[in-house]
Amino acid sequence: MNPASLIPSPDPLQVPWGWFQILLSITFLLHLLVMNIMLGWSIIACTNHVFKLSRAGENRLISKKLPFTIAFTINFGVAPLLFLQVLYGHFMYTSSVLMAGFWLSIVLLLIFTYYGAYIYNLQFASLSSLHAPLTTFIAALFLVIAFFFTNNTSLMVTPETWPRYFDHPDGLLLNFGDPTLIPRYLHSVLASVAIGGLALGLYYDWKKRGGDAAAATRIPSAMNWFSYATILNFGIGTWYFSGLPPSIRTVTGTASAFTLFFLIAGIGAAILSVIYGLQHRVRRASVAVLGAIICMVAVRELVRRQTLAPWFSTSDLQVVPQYSPLLLFLLVFVAGLALIWYMIKLVLPANNPAKNSADPEVQS
Amino acid sequence: MNYPIWQLDAFGGGLLIAIIAIVHVYVSHFAVGGGLFLVLTEMKGLREGSAEILAYTRKHTKFFLLLTMVFGGLTGVGIWFTIALLSPAATSSLIHIFVFGWAMEWVFFLAEIVSLLLYYYTFDRLDPKKHLILGWIYFISAWMSLFLINGIIDFMLTPGDWLTDNNFWSGFFNPTFWPALFFRTFMALMIAGLFGFLTSVNIKKNVLRHNMVRYCGMWLLAPLILLLGSALWYKAALPTAQQEMIFLVAPEMKPFLSLFIWLSPLIFAGGLGMAVLRPQNVQRPLAWLLLLLGFVQLGCFEFIREGGRRPYIIHDYMYSTSIFKADMAETQKSGLLASARWIKNRTITPENRMDAGKELLTLLCLPCHSLGGPLNNIIPIARQYSPAGMRSYLATMGNASPYMPPFAGNRAELEILADYLTTQLVPGTGDSPVRITQEILAPAAFNEETVETLILAGTDMGMVLSSEPEYSGIDFSFAPPTLRAQIIERGEAPAILGKEIQVSYRIETDKEALTGTMTATGSTFEAALPKMPAVSKDFRPYVMAEISASKNGKIIAATKLKIGISTTLGCRNCHGGPWRQEGNTGLSRETAANILTAHDKRSKTTLSSAFANGSIITCRDCHADSSRDAKGLPERLNLSAAMHGFHAAFIDHKDPNTNSCDFCHGGNPHGATGKLEDLHGSLGLECANCHGTLADHAISLLKEEQQARIPAGGKLLGLIANKGSLPVNAIKGRSPWVMEPDCLSCHKDFQPPETDTAFNSWTKDRQGLFAHRHSMDGVLLCTSCHGAPHSLYPTDNPHSKQAGNLQPLQYQKNPYPIGADRGCAVCHTVEMEDEVHHPGSLGTFRNRVE
Repeated sequence: MNPASLIPSPDPLQVPWGWFQILLSITFLLHLLVMNIMLGWSIIACTNHVFKLSRAGENRLISKKLPFTIAFTINFGVAPLLFLQVLYGHFMYTSSVLMAGFWLSIVLLLIFTYYGAYIYNLQFASLSSLHAPLTTFIAALFLVIAFFFTNNTSLMVTPETWPRYFDHPDGLLLNFGDPTLIPRYLHSVLASVAIGGLALGLYYDWKKRGGDAAAATRIPSAMNWFSYATILNFGIGTWYFSGLPPSIRTVTGTASAFTLFFLIAGIGAAILSVIYGLQHRVRRASVAVLGAIICMVAVRELVRRQTLAPWFSTSDLQVVPQYSPLLLFLLVFVAGLALIWYMIKLVLPANNPAKNSADPEVQS
Repeated sequence: MNYPIWQLDAFGGGLLIAIIAIVHVYVSHFAVGGGLFLVLTEMKGLREGSAEILAYTRKHTKFFLLLTMVFGGLTGVGIWFTIALLSPAATSSLIHIFVFGWAMEWVFFLAEIVSLLLYYYTFDRLDPKKHLILGWIYFISAWMSLFLINGIIDFMLTPGDWLTDNNFWSGFFNPTFWPALFFRTFMALMIAGLFGFLTSVNIKKNVLRHNMVRYCGMWLLAPLILLLGSALWYKAALPTAQQEMIFLVAPEMKPFLSLFIWLSPLIFAGGLGMAVLRPQNVQRPLAWLLLLLGFVQLGCFEFIREGGRRPYIIHDYMYSTSIFKADMAETQKSGLLASARWIKNRTITPENRMDAGKELLTLLCLPCHSLGGPLNNIIPIARQYSPAGMRSYLATMGNASPYMPPFAGNRAELEILADYLTTQLVPGTGDSPVRITQEILAPAAFNEETVETLILAGTDMGMVLSSEPEYSGIDFSFAPPTLRAQIIERGEAPAILGKEIQVSYRIETDKEALTGTMTATGSTFEAALPKMPAVSKDFRPYVMAEISASKNGKIIAATKLKIGISTTLGCRNCHGGPWRQEGNTGLSRETAANILTAHDKRSKTTLSSAFANGSIITCRDCHADSSRDAKGLPERLNLSAAMHGFHAAFIDHKDPNTNSCDFCHGGNPHGATGKLEDLHGSLGLECANCHGTLADHAISLLKEEQQARIPAGGKLLGLIANKGSLPVNAIKGRSPWVMEPDCLSCHKDFQPPETDTAFNSWTKDRQGLFAHRHSMDGVLLCTSCHGAPHSLYPTDNPHSKQAGNLQPLQYQKNPYPIGADRGCAVCHTVEMEDEVHHPGSLGTFRNRVE
């Protein structure tokens, strides 16, 4: 069976695809950063509890912030998923149906982890004996969810595997035939551990600069999470890269040249971030790794485009122009950001000096 | 058909989306109304200087955050995931049409999260005015989410001008946008009150608890009244098609509509009860009960709204099978297997036929139906149909069953799917094979040399249907036939004997012998049988009767005849249930029950309960039946018009394998009754030659009813108006049993016919019917020489060569009409030279049999 015959017809766009690509990349970057912190923190907290590492303050910090990271991971995930469906919906809906059972279970698993995170936060003291199993439960479910996401992004770009549906129409297909599936997954997980560690480092660095001497002592361990996970990720990244089709790994055109450029730039920035990380220079490491992540997001998009090139290009999408909804969205988006900034200013300690000192939850 | 189908079996049929959507919708409405509740309750606390109310508000906020942000937020994502899995094509359309609407909703979702988290975590730690600003921002953001989602959801029900201009704003501000927005806003406020009850009943201090419970009661009761007002506005804003689908067409909507309406006073009373009943141990369960009732009410509304879209998922744009309306005609022409993408069996062979049937089931049925699940289970539906019945049902979807999309495939695919559904998915619904042992019957004795008197006897109807009410529980009101006999004293100038003699009959059945005397009426003796004789256990479509004439106690003539009775009613083709007898004939009680259930559903009757209590349901009690002079109820269709008019819409008029008349009547050559035994049947004529096709026949009956201003007449006529062989206005209306095909339409002046179509030329009155007409000399009934209607000599009954021809065989030793081939001597004892009875009566009979 020719897989091309299975690829659904896409729907037309209202504005040229570039708009959606920009919105997709920006919102995905936001999602990626918060998601990395969420997953990374759950793994770090789990490790702390399981191996009984004496990091009570760190665990309490994670317990309080983890629900926020989940809330924003989900919210920041909505937008890129929307724009991805606009550009690649005909691939993604299909791959989602092929693994529908696993895909839909994500919602249930997320509800469990979300409430688990709130229990971890709100019952932190009273459930201290259950911290290890609780954080293991949370981290394990996050890892399962992450795997399902990785599987879907792999399945959506490999139409040649889709005919398996005819023997397994029950929505339980996984894409283990893709040599990049496992390294891609591990690459994301390790990156999450690294960014989770870095986020802790940034928090301690901020506290240190605020005069908290104890926070300074916690920076090394946080940066070690970052540095060693990133070092390990070079190996996993190599494994991932070697699994990509030769046409993507070699420079055969403009797209692969761009891919290679962003890949090398990303690796360079990552090496720099590790150097800073090992030196416990938090902010420099953060800037470097942000550059690396931006490059890797670009690589990710380019690899997807090249993988799908035999079947589809976003430039093939028909455009039936309607700009007024876009315009209104941009206005709402800017207004929304302004509103959020206004709200944050509204509650900032500087604007509420009298009550601020009695606000342990916000300050912790 | 762009996408693969997730095969969920029992979990299909909308179960997943129903669970996720209704739960989410309830919580998400709470997220909107509850936002305002928080702000106004905090303001109340501040205004009254009540730390307790503020403490309650804070506690309620925590509950609110954990429920709406975690569960509400994720089930919202869950709906998105679910619809994308169940209806990817529709989801893709909605995403692409409203991408920036969704994107704006995302911005408000973000603002909701930020404002709610800040609102909760800064409680008591922020200046009250600033804190209230956060609360207002939350509420406005949440309401804006509702505003945006409402536009998209209602677009699916009423796309309005978008269908022609494809403009974002036309689709968004669609015809039901505003009433739905108000409806949902009031619903959200009401739900805020219901959840308010849930937390306020746990307040320990009695005074505060009563205060807050009453306060929550206002949140429930005031919006509830406005909700009902906006519901009426919503209804009024619905276009006709959607209104009819919800309130008239789809019987499944009725319980949801009733429940929605009845729950309102219940919830209202419950709200008042909460204010009056003060004990906490009463308030707590009542609060939960009210929350549940609110959930059910919202669930009813969502079912109704979704139901109103049928058979579309986006009204008038995309069918629930994900086929675009614009593609339907081409798909029907080229075939689904050729045009759908996710197809394995593109070419049909005898080997893969059923595998292809399964694929058609997957593509066309499983988007809405489950296999064995609690919602929209297709298995009991399929079990109701025979293959032919299913073919008819599939072919008439979208018209007779307007809540179903038209069948999106070609004729071959329709047949494959029908076979798959009725033989593979639900095996064992077919008929048992009919095994006929021919019965050899001997006519009564007749010696033309010695016999002075003879009897020409028969029935006014050659073949009657019987629903066997004593078994089935339904009396379809087919009248038992009337026995008639003319007693002829033989001679050169024969005489018709009358009151000077006595004529009696005897009908043998398995149970009993029916006997009686016949009454002289003019030249004819008649006996209207008091009841339909029972067919024999070893089924044959007739019972035998003997008629004897006597004078002064001495029998002077005797003859035999058959009374044609068929129990092979095809109801089970579509209404399911087994045959009553031998696996191939007779209306079973199960089938009857299904018929009555369908009748109750569509016509809002309560026949099923009467049936269950042992009553026999008699159709003519409501539907006039002129065959028995039953008046029925006013404004109801007469029985013939109701039966043919209603069912004509469901019968596949183009089915090459099924004569649509045989579908219900017992004329199927392969059925237990067998083919039409009449001479015309042997000549290859079909029912339609005289009566018109089923559609023609039904139209003629409905037109008469329409002219009599019976409301259902016009409505049913609309469903079949384009199915007749002639335009509706060219078909002449007629009264059943009175205005029937006229033999002389073809046999002009009693001559051989020049046409084979008698349809649309009706007898004027009952006396014009073949059954009641006389020869031109006014003496003999036509039926005395030619046999009864539908049983004209020579008959060819598969159960017995002789049964229908007993009198010609008795008097002439051949099966032809009495007196055929110049056989005048049967009565006249000599040959005659004048054609007294009718022109051509002295000719040689043309249609010979072997």
